[in-house]
This record gives sequence, structure tokens and C-alpha cells, in this order.
Amino acid sequence: MYHVELIPNSTTTHATPGWTYVPDRGFDPAKAAITPAIGRKRGIRDPGRADLSSRQNNAIVRHLAELDRENHRDVQISIPVKQKDASGRGTRGKVTSNVRRILQSQKTFRNYLDDEEAALAQQASTQQTQQQTSSTSSSHRPSINKITKPGSTPRRSSTPLTAAPTPKPDTSSRSNRKAQQQQQHQRPSSTAPTSSRASTVTTAAETETETPAPDKDQPQDKDNTESKEEEEKQQNPHELIKSEHDNDPLLKSYIPSAPSERIMQALLAEPPLTYHASRAGPPIARKSPRYFCCMCGYWGKIRCKNCHLRTCGLGCYKVHEDSRCGAFF
Amino acid sequence: MGTTKPRPSGRASVAKVQSLPDKTFVIDNGAYTLKAGYAPDSAPPEDQSKALAACTEIPNAIVKTRGNKIYVGSQLNTHVTDWNEMMFRRPVEKGYIVNWEAQKEIWEHSFFDEKTVRSKDLRITDPEDTTLLLTEAPNALPALQKNADEIVMEEWGFGGYLRCVGPSMNAWNDVQSLFGDPIVQKANTTVSPKECLLVVDSGYSHTTVTPIYKGQPLQRAIRRLDLGGKHLTNYLKEMVSVRQYNMVDETYIMNEVKEAVCFVSNNFVGDMEQTWKGNRKRGLPDPSEGVMVDYVLPDPNAGKKGFMRPHDALLNAKKRKGGLSGASAEALSEDALVLGNERFAVPEILFTPSDIGMKQAGIPDIIMQSLSVLPTGLHPAFLANVLVVGGNALLPGFVNRLESELRQLASAECAVRVKCPQDPIRSAWLGASRFATNKDELRKVAITRQEYQEHGSSWVSRKFTGAI
Repeated sequence: MYHVELIPNSTTTHATPGWTYVPDRGFDPAKAAITPAIGRKRGIRDPGRADLSSRQNNAIVRHLAELDRENHRDVQISIPVKQKDASGRGTRGKVTSNVRRILQSQKTFRNYLDDEEAALAQQASTQQTQQQTSSTSSSHRPSINKITKPGSTPRRSSTPLTAAPTPKPDTSSRSNRKAQQQQQHQRPSSTAPTSSRASTVTTAAETETETPAPDKDQPQDKDNTESKEEEEKQQNPHELIKSEHDNDPLLKSYIPSAPSERIMQALLAEPPLTYHASRAGPPIARKSPRYFCCMCGYWGKIRCKNCHLRTCGLGCYKVHEDSRCGAFF
Repeated sequence: MGTTKPRPSGRASVAKVQSLPDKTFVIDNGAYTLKAGYAPDSAPPEDQSKALAACTEIPNAIVKTRGNKIYVGSQLNTHVTDWNEMMFRRPVEKGYIVNWEAQKEIWEHSFFDEKTVRSKDLRITDPEDTTLLLTEAPNALPALQKNADEIVMEEWGFGGYLRCVGPSMNAWNDVQSLFGDPIVQKANTTVSPKECLLVVDSGYSHTTVTPIYKGQPLQRAIRRLDLGGKHLTNYLKEMVSVRQYNMVDETYIMNEVKEAVCFVSNNFVGDMEQTWKGNRKRGLPDPSEGVMVDYVLPDPNAGKKGFMRPHDALLNAKKRKGGLSGASAEALSEDALVLGNERFAVPEILFTPSDIGMKQAGIPDIIMQSLSVLPTGLHPAFLANVLVVGGNALLPGFVNRLESELRQLASAECAVRVKCPQDPIRSAWLGASRFATNKDELRKVAITRQEYQEHGSSWVSRKFTGAI
């Protein structure tokens, strides 16, 4: 992309309003990609072969939109006109304004989604200003737009939640009970918003260094692994054959305990994510992309030098070149 | 705009508190078909097929034939004989009811208009004495939810109403016996939900993954893949149009082809090698027999339906010979599509969306993404109870593939079980109808007509998200 910039307070008259020439400031990879300065050998300068070019991206987007269509052609199918005998309506009288508005609306899903995004953006901006003006106010409701996928950005809640992990360090059975009592003490007072509480719970569970809030029925000792294993044996006495390797930390299978009812209630009370936030992300483990022959569907081993479509071999390539190669790229 | 007072009908009855009507009508409003029927009054019948007899599948579309005739809903199954160049108008877009003009027409045609309603089991004679249970796809837009609430309560005026997330209704089914768990004999006969269930709902417009805890969805973990049955059909249509006949206008026929021939491969590379056309030239003992099939296209003039048959490589040669010797005209007139790697490359995009350049992950990966935002303590319970519903669950091999890929991704300590109910399409309806028999639970979440009139639609939407 060429960089066109409007200089803010230039006194020159605008021969062409809206844009102006700016001096070229050194090397710009974006420009170099379009008009390479050196040679025509591909792959020397541009490292981003794995990245898709914007053309390819556009082609993919267009293809996906094509797959999303209901009919191949755009058609208008109107509701069949009924002979008015008020059979459907029956006893009901006139139509309310809400109903009329909804029925006459010709909005598509796209329109509704855009409205939604605009509303959320506005909400976010007003919230920001609110937070700036009153930084001390602790009343932040778990609004929908604030909840992001924890996978992408680990959300830090502003409310400190140290109640659960703090009684950990010295854990003998007595202090554990004490900790539980403490816990119960703190329970009514901890009125942190549900979402923030839940998110810290998951981060705690992901790191697995600190287990979620202690359950009553399952006393846990972090440091004392032997006693823990004894307990496990007590829990399922007829499960495993004893061997000397049972205490090997490498062989031990760690099954995390189920979260407490309190956590589950907090999770259930969360508001739904937005439409965009619930969209699945990219794959966790990136596999190299597979290409298929555009003619027969077999592996796309060779790429057409003109249009970059793939074919499986010379046979398919000849057909492609003769009939279908668009060479638009 | 929010709180609009509907017309003050039934002023006399305002004084006393109304309760929910006893009859419950369940509509699982899918994009492709809507599943509807009355829930049983008391305990649901033990036999699943008997319970499903109350449920009717109605195409959720208004269609235009090439003769410019327009048909609505269930007329598609009876009135239409020529499916060529059929055009569809669907009120549900991306899984959500968007166009209420068309949806109202289909609902009236199917449930309210006494002339067109198929059977009296589907007729809603007096909405005032009926509770409507309407399902929606998860993560719906609030504006669309509000539209639905207002239309349901103000246009038809149902006596009771509940809008709920469709996949979560599956938890009320008899999932224990499906997974082969020991059934705990309960003293009471009321229906209760499964504690932990992970529902993969692969429908017409998208595929969603919903972890459900005690009948309620865990909202933060719901994930969606924007690929569904529609995309598979269109993808197959595109492939066939490039390689064989131009079928771009034949959405309906290609959908039938897809349902007949497509399968999810458990050995993608191996199947791909089998269908390579080079095998034939090399004179290998044609191993493609297994995968390669012919689909004979329907012939509306002769009133014949399309069907699948094993591929006959020598067919063309036979035809030529037969044409010379004057064989039956019938065999000569038929058109067949030869389907090889299309059969499994098409459903493959649900598992590897990058095959069509999509940035999203495949279904097994999405399940792991969904679980990653939940406490690790829940992972074993959800991985051991994965339920696949929706039309794509009918693809052969889908469940096996999902189970084997999930097994590779999940940690070794967790058991992975993936199951598909007997009828994956009507599974959500069945669960909803069982839920409706549990009147106590229903009363907790549903609203009455009186409440709507008092508080208005924005209160209702807050109630249904559980904020009140």
C-alpha cells in the first residue's frame, strides 16, 4: 500500500483536496513488496511466503461468502397473498406497533450485527469515560463486552481475590480447618462480581499451582504428598495393585478435583458472550495447510504460475491452462 | 422503546395472579426445519419413538419453483414434485430468526390456520391457554431476542412463554442410557437434567459447542464454528459444477446428493490415494470401488427420484455400445454424477476448516478451546459426555472421527466418549418436551402473559438471561 498522508496544518493550497504528497521516509516493506527494488527473484527479500497476500485473502473471503449463500442467484420471494378471512388472526384484534415494526423490518442479520457492534462500542467508550471520572467507584457490573475469551487475553480483574490462596502456605490439618473456617467467614463478605471471580478461578486452575477454593469433603495437603496418596487409597481401596512406583511423581496421575458448588453457581450466572466473542479461534496447534487440485480434488502439488491455483499434475494442469486459468492474479 | 404496554386485554383477570397454562407447545426453530409439537402432559413415555411421534419436522422455508409457484412450510413435502431450480427463502439466518415476516407466515401456516395445519396435534387453537417453549441458538443478538419476545407475546399472545438456548435442552434427555451409564433408580418420576454434558450441535448454519451443567449452559465456554450443513451443500455443489455438470442452481438436489453419499473419513490420506485417477491408468486392481459411487440424478419428467449406486467404470462404454445396438432409452437418458473424493473432502471442512482457507479451528479443537476456559476439574466430566446433535451428526463416520481426534487432544487421564442420539435432529425438541413435563422447573424460568404485560419486553429479556 502506498502511504498517503494528510499533513495536518499545512498552509499550502490544496490543488487536490483530501491528499497531498509526502516525502518518502526511507525503506518501507509494504512498498518494497509491490515494486521490488532488486531483481525479480522471488523469495529473496520477502520472508512472508507463509502469509497470505491480500488478494488470496480476498479470494478466500469471497469463497466463504459464496458458501454462505442460500441460493445461487439473488431472488425475491414474496409471501403468498392470502385471501383475507381473518382465519389466522381469529379473535385477535389489531396489530400493536411493535409487531408492525418487526414485521415490516427488512433488516438482515448483517444489519443487526452491525447495530450490535456499534452499541457495544459506544457502551465501552462511555464506560471508559465513567471509569476515568470516578476511579474509586467499585460498582462495575459484568457487562457483556468486557468479557473476553480468556484464551486470548488473560483478564485481570481489578478486585483482589486473595481469599482462596492465602491460607495455603502452612498447611497442617489443623490450620487447614482453621483456613476453612476463615473461608466461611469471608464467604458472605466477598461480594466480588461474578465474572471476575470466575475468571480468576480458571486462571488458577490452568496454572495448577494452586487449586481452587478448598472443598469441605476433600481436605487437601499440597506439601504432604504421601498423606494425600494415603487418602486416595482410602477413597478407592480396590482400584490398583500396589507397586513401588506408586509414589513416583512422574507416574502419578493427577486428576483435579471438581470445583465447588459456589464456583459453579458463579459460572452459571455469567451473562452470554457476544456473537463475535463466541466465535471459535484459530487452531491451537498449527498444521501446515493442505492444498487440493482445483480440477480433480487430489493433492494440489503444483501451482499455476499465472493464477496460483493448485493442480495435482500435468494432466490436470493442461486442462486448467487451456480452459480455466483466469490469470487474474 | 423498551417497555411498551401491550393492549390491556383481559382486564378482569389482572386482579388474580395467573399461572402458566398446562399445555406446552415446543418449537425448536431450526434454520432448515422447525421441529414442533405438544409436550406430553404428565410423565414422558419411556419409549423414545413414542415420545417423538408428537414431534413433526416442518421445512422452515418459503420456496419458489421454476414454474414461479410459491409454497410454504409443510407444503414442500406434499405439493412439490419438481425440485429443479428451486429457490429458497428462509426466515432464519445464521441460526437466528431474523425475518419475522416470513417466519410468521410459516408459523401461521403450520400451527394457527385451521385450513392448512396438517393435523390437530399441531394446531394451536387458543394461544392464551398454551405455554410456548421456543429454542434459540446460543449467543443470540439481544435485538433479535427482543423481536422474538414481542412477536410471540403481542402478535399471538401466548399464555406462557419461555425462550431458551436450544442445545441445553438435550441435557433433559435420557442421556444416561445412551452413554451406558448405570441408571440410578430415582424415587420420584420427575425428569431431571444430566449433570455435565457437552453438546456439539452441528446444524444447517453453524456448529456450536455448548457445555451444559445441570441443564444450564456455561455461557463463557460456548464456541461456534461458522460452518454447517448449508456450507457443505454449497461446497459440494461448487465442486460438482466445476468437475461435472453445472449444478449451481440445484441446491435442493445437491443437498439430497450430499445426504446420500457424503461421509466423514477416518483415514483422509488413505481415502484420497484410493480415489486418485492415476490408479486406473496404471491398471491397478481398481481399489476405488470402495469410495467411488455414482449418483443418478432425479428425473422429474419421469417422476423418478435420485439414488446412489456403486460406480461402474465401464458404464460409458456400455452406453455407447447400447446406443448402437438400440438398447432401452431409459438407460441412455439417465444422468449420473460420479463422486469420488468429493464424498469425504466435503465434510472434512468441519474438521479442518483450513482446507477452504478458513482461519477457525476444527470441531475437536473447538471442544478443547471451549474447555480451556473452564476449571480443569470439569474437563473429565465433559469429555466423557460429548453428545453430537444436529443434522450433520447423521454423516456416517462423524462420531468416530470426533472421538478419535478428541482422544488425541485430551489428556490421557480423561475418558473420552462421543455419542449421537437415536434421532439427532429432534433431540433438542425431545429434551425440551421432557423438560416441559417438569412443571416446577418450568415455572421457575418461564413467564406468564400477565408478567409480560406488567413488565414489558426488556424485563423479559433480562429474565431469560437469568439476571432476575
